[in-house]
Amino acid sequence: MKNRLRELRAERGWSQAELADRLEVSRQSVNAIETGKYDPSLPLAFRLARLFAMRIEEMFTDEA
Amino acid sequence: MSCLSKNPAVRRFYYRVAAATFANIVLNILVALCFYKFRPHGPVAYILAVVPAIAILGFIVAIGQYLTEDKDEFQRNLMVQVLLWGLGGVLVFTSAWGSLESFAHFRHFNPTYTYILFWVFAGISVPFLNRRYR
Repeated sequence: MKNRLRELRAERGWSQAELADRLEVSRQSVNAIETGKYDPSLPLAFRLARLFAMRIEEMFTDEA
Repeated sequence: MSCLSKNPAVRRFYYRVAAATFANIVLNILVALCFYKFRPHGPVAYILAVVPAIAILGFIVAIGQYLTEDKDEFQRNLMVQVLLWGLGGVLVFTSAWGSLESFAHFRHFNPTYTYILFWVFAGISVPFLNRRYR
């Protein structure tokens, strides 16, 4: 699954650590999602979508 | 999932595993002393010999508690990967060693050390996983 997390985070000028704090996860988690090494669960995807005030499908795209 | 994690759930997990491991070591020593001093036999010997392994159940409980306590799903995923590497390593090692004992006359491997071996393999996987997900 592809995502726009890095781009959205950069637009807001947040570091990975800042985003991790806002999501209450580790920086490692943010990096793993950004690099596509880990796909977040639906609850975490919803938290991300709420944080960036957008819909999940605007942040994540299915590669299939 | 570094060794000095800031994550309270990971820290609690380490403390609980350390407590279970410490209990395992102490019980092993006490049981060895009992056998050395009193030379028990029959059902008493069976029960005494099994007692140290019961402490390892604390380790299983610690894993269960960690998986319910850590809110960071990626860290939980990472922990499961570490544990799988530990389990996989032990299974491969003990199976291979068993074959070597049967067919190549290797020295007997004492299964009492399986728990330690599990942590050796789990520990080896940590830097590799940290590197992959840094």
